[in-house]
Amino acid sequence: MIHVLVIGAGAMGSTHAAAYADMPNAYLAGIVDTDAGKGARVAEACGTSSFTSYAKAMEALDRVDVVDVCLPTPLHKKHVLQAADDGKHVICEKPLARSLADAREMIDHCRSRGVRLFVGHVLRFFHEYAHAKRLLDDGVIGNPAVIRAGRGGGYPIGWQHWYSDFGASGGITLDAMIHDFDFLRWCFGEVERVYAKGLHGRVHAQLDYSLVTLRFQSGAIAHVEGTWSHEGFSMNLEIAGTQGIIGYDSARDQPLLSFQRGGHAGGGGGVPVPESPVEENPYFQELRHFLNCIEQDEEPIVTAEDAYEALRIALSALKSMETGRPVDLGAGAADLSSKGVIGS
Amino acid sequence: MKIGIVSFAHMHAYSYAKALIQLEGVELAGIYDPDEQRGQKFAGILGTSYYGDYAELLSQGLSGIVVTSENANHKEHVLAAAKAGVHVLCEKPISTNAADARDMIEACKAAGVMLQTAFPVRYNRSVIRAKQMIDEGKLGRILAMKGTNRGQNPGGWFVDPALSGGGAVIDHTVHVADIMRWFTGAEVKEVYAEIGQLMSAVPIDDCGILSIEFDNGVFATLDCSWSRNPSFPTWGDVTLEIVGTAGTLTIDAFGQKLNVFSEERGYRHHFWGDDMDFGLVRDFVASIAEGRTEANVTGVDGLKALEVALAAYRSAERLTAVSPAEL
Repeated sequence: MIHVLVIGAGAMGSTHAAAYADMPNAYLAGIVDTDAGKGARVAEACGTSSFTSYAKAMEALDRVDVVDVCLPTPLHKKHVLQAADDGKHVICEKPLARSLADAREMIDHCRSRGVRLFVGHVLRFFHEYAHAKRLLDDGVIGNPAVIRAGRGGGYPIGWQHWYSDFGASGGITLDAMIHDFDFLRWCFGEVERVYAKGLHGRVHAQLDYSLVTLRFQSGAIAHVEGTWSHEGFSMNLEIAGTQGIIGYDSARDQPLLSFQRGGHAGGGGGVPVPESPVEENPYFQELRHFLNCIEQDEEPIVTAEDAYEALRIALSALKSMETGRPVDLGAGAADLSSKGVIGS
Repeated sequence: MKIGIVSFAHMHAYSYAKALIQLEGVELAGIYDPDEQRGQKFAGILGTSYYGDYAELLSQGLSGIVVTSENANHKEHVLAAAKAGVHVLCEKPISTNAADARDMIEACKAAGVMLQTAFPVRYNRSVIRAKQMIDEGKLGRILAMKGTNRGQNPGGWFVDPALSGGGAVIDHTVHVADIMRWFTGAEVKEVYAEIGQLMSAVPIDDCGILSIEFDNGVFATLDCSWSRNPSFPTWGDVTLEIVGTAGTLTIDAFGQKLNVFSEERGYRHHFWGDDMDFGLVRDFVASIAEGRTEANVTGVDGLKALEVALAAYRSAERLTAVSPAEL
C-alpha cells in the first residue's frame, strides 16, 4: 500500500484524490489546500483528511510515500524540492516547470535525493490517444506524414486567475499544448524545428490562441492548435500516413451528450454536457501506472526527461512567437535565450 | 454570348463547361485542346465544336474564354486572348511564377479585357455568408485564422513541376490564401512553411503547413497537403477557423453533405449545397454582360495568392519567414 498526499484541491487535485481513493494499492493519506473549505470538501468526498499546508500534513501524518503536486505551475518547484528533501517520491502535474533551468534542477534534485519523479502527461493514458499510437505502431496507416492536433475551449479562470499571468502559466502553449507536444514526440520521435504564432502580446483580452508547426527529424510535419478563445472543451487528432488516416475529434465523436433544460419548460438556458465514460479514467490509469513503477522499480511510459523535452518544445514555440523565427531543437539547444533561433 | 474553353488539361474545365451550358444566353462556342482526342471527346459530350488551334477558336467572335490549360501554359493562352480582345477567366494558380502573372495582368489591362482568376471558393455559400458576418462586425476584429485545403494527389501534369510549377503548395495554397485576403482586407506580410515529399513516390511536394503573418497583425496557418487518401469519404476539404475579438467562426465549405455508404464505393460524402463552380462562371459571364472592365476577383488577386505559395517555397529553402515583396 502506497500512502499518497495530494497537494492542491483544484480540478486536477480532486481528480487525482478520487483516483487514489479508488485504487486498491493506494492509500489517500490526505489533501492539502490553502483554502480550508475547498480542501475539506474534497477530503470528505474522498474519505480522507485535509490540511492547509504541506508542513501541517507532514506533521500530522504517520506515513507519506508519495507527494502528488497538483498546483499552479509556478508553485511546482518549491513543493517538488521540499518533497524530495523529505525523501518522498513525487508526482507533479504538467508542465513540470515554467523554465528549463527549473525543470532540470527539479529532476536532478529528485535523483540526488534518491526519489522518483513522475510528470502528469496524462494524454498518453487517454484511451483514444493510446489506441491511435497502437494503430500507428502496428503500421495501419504506413509512414506518418502530416499530423494535426488541437485542444482547447474557454479561457480558464483557475486559482487567483493565475492562467492569465503569462509569466506564470505560459498561456495555452505551455499549459495545455504541452500535452500534444509530449504525445506527438512519443509517436513521431524527436522534433527538429518549431515555428509558432500566437495571440500573446497581440491582444489585451482574456483570449489565447496558438498555432504551432513541428518538424520532426523523421520529416513528418505536425500542426498543433491551442485555443482559449472558443466555447466548450474539445480536442482532436489526425494522422495522415502513406497508407491511411487516423482521425479523432471529441467535438464530433460524442458517445454521450446530456442537456438539462433551464428554468422554464421547453426553454434553453442549459448547455450540452459531453461525457466519455470508461471503466478506468485516464487519470486513474496514469496514477496507478506511476505507483506500480514505484512498487516494481520500473521505468514509466512517460519519464521526467520526456516532460523536460515536452517543455523544451513548448518554450521553443514561445521563443518562435517572440522572434518570428523557427527554433532549432536539434543541436542540443537547451539554451532558449537566442542561440537556438535559426538565422539569428 | 459566345464563350470558349482553352484546354481540358485541368479537370475543372468540365464543371465550368456544364455551367456555361446551363446559363441562359450563353453559347459554349468551342473547345481548343492540344490533345485532340481529349478535345474531341469533350466537344462531343458537351455538343460543341473542337478546335485544334486556339487562335482559330479566339476568332469565332467570342466574348470570353475560360483558360484551363496546365499552369505553365496559362500565360500563352491569356496573352493570345488579350490580343484577340477576349475576356478571360483563368484557372488558379494564375501562373507558375510572379513575372508571368504580371505580364498577363498587364497585357489584359492594355488590351482592355477583363482578367478574372478562377477562385470558386469565393462563390461557396458558407464562405459568402461568413464574409457577410465578418463585414457586419459579428466577430469583432479578426485576430487569427486556421485554414485547410487538403486533397488527394491529382497525379498527371500536376506532379510535373515544369507544367504545374510545383505540387501541393502551389496547387492548394491559393484558394484559402485568397479567402483570407478577402476576409481581412489585409495583405500577406510574411510566410513561413514546412514542406515535404512525404507520401508520393514521384518527386513532388505533397505536404505543407504554412504560417502567414498579415500586414494588420492577423496570423494564420494553412494546411495545403495532398493528404487525403482514396478511402477518405471525399476528395478533400476547404475549412477555415476564425478567431475574433467578439467571437469565433468555423467554416467547412463542403459541410453541406450526405453520408452515403454504398457497397460499391464504401463511405462517401455527397455535397448537396449550391454549386460554386456555377456561381463562378455565372459571375464571369455577368461581368462581361455588364461591360465591366474589372472582374470581381481579379488577376491581381490571383497574383497575390500565388505569391503566398511562392514565398512558402522560398521559406522552406531558407528556413526563415519570407516576405512576398522580396520575391
